[in-house]
Amino acid sequence: MNETKLIIADDHELFRKGLAELLSKHEDIKVIKSVEDGIEFMNILKSNIEAHIVLLDITMPNMDGFQVLKEMKNLSSTIKPIVISMHNDGNYIAKCAKSGAYGYLLKNADETELTKAIRMVSKGSKYFSAEISEKMINFMSVQSVSEDILSNKETEVLGLISEGLTTKEIASRLFVSARTIETHRANILKKLEVKNTAELIKKAAKINLI
Amino acid sequence: MSIKTLILIIINSLIGFVVLILSLLFYNQFSKVLNDRILLQLNSIKTLKQIQVENLIQSEWNDFLNVKKIDTADLDTNFKIPDSILSLDGIHDLTPYHKEKQTSIGFIQSTNEGSIVKIIPYHKLKKILLERTGMGESGESYLVGSDYCLRSQSRFFPDKNPYKVKVKTKGVIDALAGNKGRGVFKDYRGVNVYSVYSPLETSYLELVILSEIDVDEVTLPLKKLRYRLFVLTLGILIVAVLLSLLLTKMISNPVKNMRKNLKIMAMGNYNQSDDFKKNSIEIKEMFDALANLKDSLRGAVNFSNQIGNMNLNSNYTPKSSNDQLGKSLIAMRDKLLEFRTNEQKSRIVTKRLLLDGLEKERKRLSRELHDGIGPHLTSLKFYVENNIIDPMKKIEMKTIVDSTISEVRLMSNALMPSSIDDFGVGATLTNFVRSIENSTKISIEFEDLTKHSKSKITNHQGINLFRISQELINNSLKHSEAKNIRITLSEFNDFVSLFYFDDGIGFKLETAKLGSGIINIKQRVEICNGTIVINSEQGRTTTFEIEFPIKNDL
Repeated sequence: MNETKLIIADDHELFRKGLAELLSKHEDIKVIKSVEDGIEFMNILKSNIEAHIVLLDITMPNMDGFQVLKEMKNLSSTIKPIVISMHNDGNYIAKCAKSGAYGYLLKNADETELTKAIRMVSKGSKYFSAEISEKMINFMSVQSVSEDILSNKETEVLGLISEGLTTKEIASRLFVSARTIETHRANILKKLEVKNTAELIKKAAKINLI
Repeated sequence: MSIKTLILIIINSLIGFVVLILSLLFYNQFSKVLNDRILLQLNSIKTLKQIQVENLIQSEWNDFLNVKKIDTADLDTNFKIPDSILSLDGIHDLTPYHKEKQTSIGFIQSTNEGSIVKIIPYHKLKKILLERTGMGESGESYLVGSDYCLRSQSRFFPDKNPYKVKVKTKGVIDALAGNKGRGVFKDYRGVNVYSVYSPLETSYLELVILSEIDVDEVTLPLKKLRYRLFVLTLGILIVAVLLSLLLTKMISNPVKNMRKNLKIMAMGNYNQSDDFKKNSIEIKEMFDALANLKDSLRGAVNFSNQIGNMNLNSNYTPKSSNDQLGKSLIAMRDKLLEFRTNEQKSRIVTKRLLLDGLEKERKRLSRELHDGIGPHLTSLKFYVENNIIDPMKKIEMKTIVDSTISEVRLMSNALMPSSIDDFGVGATLTNFVRSIENSTKISIEFEDLTKHSKSKITNHQGINLFRISQELINNSLKHSEAKNIRITLSEFNDFVSLFYFDDGIGFKLETAKLGSGIINIKQRVEICNGTIVINSEQGRTTTFEIEFPIKNDL
């Protein structure tokens, strides 16, 4: 049976020791190195150490987990990172997933979840628990970045303008200030290269924005 | 000496002097002309009398020579003519030889029968001499013999024998010496007279004729004139005094008023506004200038009042380039303004430092909890996992540790979400709102329209925006009874706008409790150079519009 070689990168010694001890009970998992910050980890990464997985903390001195993930991506490292963090907010999870993390664990994860994640990742799949996934998706859903000419909000504003609503009415409907709507409108005019509302409606209809 | 007295003295002495000089000149001129006139008239009267007398004598003489037959009866009785005289043919003054000393001008002609004597009748002479036309009250013409005795009747002593009157006056003496002349001197009465005299000498006759008039009579008009002049002078002086009194009143009253005004002003009161008679252009101008001065002083006083009340936006235009008071007041205002601005700046800086320190401390505590205690707790969990054999105890202990970890995580997040540093305020607020939503029935929606990774909202602004939102949400939850809260954070190129809405009961801005966090929010807006518009009234929805500027120069 293949042994999964593991590196732990965390700035807390007690945590590293506890984690190593926990994992030592499992024969298929071997902690081969413990480092206390990102720089140390990068050093051993560059020494061509043979390892499969790194359990990576995000909040570390000198070089934090995000930077490490970025560096690993740049170096096309074969070591698969699993982030293990105190942060349980969607944005952290999403960022890590985007940056190339194979898994995301909370530090208070159970032993079973921990080992499950390590095993799944070592087989090549990604592991995000149901709870983690939900948080990530929740976050991503509001983050939907429009690739269109206009942002979502701008499209919404444009729609209300075309319905003939005044700036004030649009502002109160969208729960923003009148100046915000004015700025949106100005930005829309600029983006669609028109000078006034009449031209704006014409152009928007032409390119099927409304 | 007061200006009034001064003007009175100067003007009146001037007028008095002029009037006096004029009167004297006029009087002198008049009296000189009068003198000349009188003497001229006297002279012509005297000449007339002289000619009449001479004519009389001549015609009598001729008659005498032709007739040569004369009654000499009373001649013998009345005269005692010495032979020496009788032997001289001609005209004689025979008065001294008359018994009664009656004036007698006689002719003596020696003939074969002895000397013939004839006396000119006295009444003929008298008629000529007493004819006083043009001689006034006191004028007379008379003859005086070489013995200084009067030969014709005196007007003043009609009953007295003329021969008894001695006339040894200056004129007679001079005339007897053979001179014609005129003058003013005392006559035989001892009264000053104008006198014209000349000798009257025919044959042996040695007489003096004089025409005289009393000085008193002549100078009567002069006296009258003098009196009139005196009255006139007095009148002019009285009028002058009255006029100058009026004039000084006209001049000195405004001066007095001015003095009064200036005194009041010197005591610092620029508000008195007495109305004065302004009886000339200059005085009117003077008072206008005073009014101007008062106005400008009042303006300066008002301005300094404004400054005193720290109303530093009030303005003041200096009255002229020399308005030192106005200029220094403006300088003072500018200094105060600068001072206030500086003070405001330093106050904001102080607030900022205070809040920043607070945030820093929170952040430190949050980190401490999250990164210090958190890992210890996870280590503890590993320890339990590794070392506790009893599965029941293990699960129980693990549950306790887990809930502790959750609690620590919540506390850490509440103190300072680390995601502000890592993901910005948009993501942090998204997380925050979600965590609140799970624990309340109120619908809270947050729309994040920040630019995420391209966001230019500074960490400092982010923290403050987060704190403000936190505060607002807290307020809504605690006080507003709102069912819906809507928050939008929109980032644009040059500003970021936080819009907060709730449909609760609203509040009155003036009565909002100090602890309600509004002050805290305003302070945060202030230290970020932001603006805040609060729309809230009791019973209506509440909105907050907060804007922070975004700097693009980095």
